[in-house]
Parts: sequence; structure tokens; C-alpha cells
Amino acid sequence: MRIIADYDRCEGHGLCADQAPDVFDLDDEGDLIHHFDGAELPAEQEAAGQRAIDACPVAALRAG
Amino acid sequence: MTVRTVVVVGGSTAGATVLRDLRARGYEGRLTLVDPERGTNRPPLSKAVLADAGHEATVRMDHSSLDVEHVQASATRLDHEARTVIASDGSEHRFDALVVATGSRARRIAEAGQTGEIVLRTVEDARHLRERIADASSAIVVGGGFLGLEVATAAAKAGLAVTVVDVDPPLQRLLGEHLAASICERAAALGIAFRRSGAALVGGPVRGVRLDDGEEIMADAVVSCVGDEPATDWLRDSGLELEQGVVIDDHARTNLADVYAAGDAAVVRVGDTVVRGPFWANAVTQGRVAAASVLGLPVDAPVVDHYFWTEIAGLPLKVVGPLPLEGEPRVLEDAGEGTGLLAWGSSAVVAYGIRRSVPRLRAVLRELSERGAG
Repeated sequence: MRIIADYDRCEGHGLCADQAPDVFDLDDEGDLIHHFDGAELPAEQEAAGQRAIDACPVAALRAG
Repeated sequence: MTVRTVVVVGGSTAGATVLRDLRARGYEGRLTLVDPERGTNRPPLSKAVLADAGHEATVRMDHSSLDVEHVQASATRLDHEARTVIASDGSEHRFDALVVATGSRARRIAEAGQTGEIVLRTVEDARHLRERIADASSAIVVGGGFLGLEVATAAAKAGLAVTVVDVDPPLQRLLGEHLAASICERAAALGIAFRRSGAALVGGPVRGVRLDDGEEIMADAVVSCVGDEPATDWLRDSGLELEQGVVIDDHARTNLADVYAAGDAAVVRVGDTVVRGPFWANAVTQGRVAAASVLGLPVDAPVVDHYFWTEIAGLPLKVVGPLPLEGEPRVLEDAGEGTGLLAWGSSAVVAYGIRRSVPRLRAVLRELSERGAG
């Protein structure tokens, strides 16, 4: 599973980082950091990754 | 008592947050979701989804990673004494803890028997409205709140002639005069016209509105954006205290033991009154509070989160702090033409027309409060 982040759509609500702290983070400016951008998620992170996709209120994340 | 079975009724933002947070907090017992559908992440419906069908797939919640038993039916009754929720498919669901998150439904103003009223609340509504916008050359939006102006924006950007009708100045009740005036000016520049009047739908199917002075205006699409009503009919005889919604305290508890509520279906008791804030941020924070309360854990989130965002006339707007925003703001950062980072005293910070993450806005507000700027 890969997660594609639309950085232009991201508004920095940070729910993805709550749900999948090993996948997503916000930097000091509140901008999104995606640790697996363009890469496969480790299997043990897939459930958290799916929760992050669901939690995003601006539909900036999708499985790809 | 050890909680072994949690039933959540409603799987949209509030209910989904409960499900996720229960699992994230280590709850390993049974989790049952009662909802005819999968739940919807609603904010994009009036923004991205209205503009582009491609975004539709992203707004359906997916609970498959949470080990949830999904009962695809509506809840029809709560038998509190038996700690049981009865669903429309006849199934009965016993609970140790219940979270009511049935949300709300669009308020309608059509008369009995009058067909063709368009509202925007569900994915189907958004799809229907998008298709109508694609075929139409004119639209009337009844209601000048956030939803009304988001819809008006989408229609205007699609090239429709749009008229927004409201008895009050658009956006003013919540945003205050300063921001409301500025945003409406930009909306007008997009070609959106405003009429100050009450409106009754005319035609069957609806084809226009009759204004207070008797004038009738017609359009290809007429959309009612006149607020929402809590979907709590199924709880009428349950013993739950209902007052424009299920009344909850700062722990998301209701008047009935082991029953909690969150989101648009809930109102928060504050002293002698109840406060209704049917915004996304409240659905999230109340979902978190409810999950903690269900598990008997300390509540580490406020039951009301004063935050919301919108996109009107192409401008993003984020507000951290309680509404309404009265008086004139202080400009913390000027991005030109009234946009930038604005502060109302030390109680509210607004990013208007600029991109700024929510954590940063909260940090600015904290700093202002600590300095006691006013």
C-alpha cells in the first residue's frame, strides 16, 4: 500500500500524524511530512495509514 | 465495570473518531457500528467534491482496519434498561457503553408535497448538486451561511449566474461585520448576487423563490442551505435528555448511565443553557472525549473546540477562537487586500486568504493569550 499526499490540499490539521505517527508528522511550521512518500508502507503501518486517510478532513490523502 | 462491548451509532466524523480512538487507546473488546452506510467525511462535500467528481471516493470512511462489526441498518430505538440498541433490520445490539453519533440532517423549507428541493448534506446530495450545476446556467442559494456561500462559490466558478438570498447579511452572524463584508465583496466580484429577504420555494418541482416583497425569481437550480437538525428522532422515548440534540457534559456523558454522545447530534450543557456547534472540529474533539470516557480514562481534550475552516470565493479561511468575531481585527500579517493573519483581541486568530496550518494558528493564539493582548 502506498499513500499519496496532496501537499497543496493539506491544511495542516494533523489528524494523520495522530493516527499514524510513524508515517506522518508535522514540521515546526505545521507542514506535512510524509515518511513514506513515493514508497510502500511497511505492512505493520497499513492499518494506521488507512486510519490517517480516513481522518483527513480535506481529502488530501489517498491510497495509491 | 469492564467494557467489553461498545456500540457506536453513526460512522461519520464523530462516530469514526470514537472507533479509531478506542482502538488507538488499546481497547480490544467488541466494537459494533450501526449505520446504513460507511460514514462520510463531510467537509469536502461542499468544496472539493462539488467541484470534481474525482474526490468523491475519498470521502467514504473505511473502518476495515479497526475490527469493527458493521451493522448496515439504522438504529430505530434505544432500550436503556436492557442496554440494547434495536436496528431497522430487526437486529438487537447489547452494549456496555453506547455512543450516539447520528449527526444531523439538512433542514428543508419545501412545503408538504413540494418536490425538487435541493439540499447538501450527503454524498448523494453532493453528486446530485454537482450534476445539476453542470447542466444549469443559473442558481439560487437560499441561506447565506458558510454552506450557502460554499455552494454559491462552486456554482459561480462553474459559470452559473448565482443569487444568494438571506434575510440577514450573509455570514455576519458568525463572522462579524468585518470579515463578512470583505468576503461578500469578493463573492460579488465572482459574479454572486445577494438579495436581503426571506424566501419561499415556488414551483413543483421547485423552480425558484418568492421573496418577501412578492417578487419571484427563477433559476435552473435552487439550493436550500438553511441549517441542519439533529438526527435524534429514534431516541424520542429513550429517556435521553434532548434539547436541540442529545445533551452532553464535558465528558460527553448524557443523563443516562453508559450512554455518550458526540458530534452534530449532541449539544453541550454549559451552565443553564446548551450550546450547539455543528462543526467538524467539535465532532472530532467530542469523539475523542467520548472514547476516553467510555474507557474510564482521563479526558484530555475539550468538549468544545473553537475551530473551523471554509473556502469561499476561492479564499481559504481558518478561524481559531469562539465566534462571532465582533469589531475590527488587528492585522498581524498583511497579505494585501484585507487578507492575512488577523487577530480579534486575544480570543481569536484568523488566517484569511493565506495558507497557515492549524497548529501554527493555535500557537499564535496561545502567545496572544499569554501576553494578554487586547
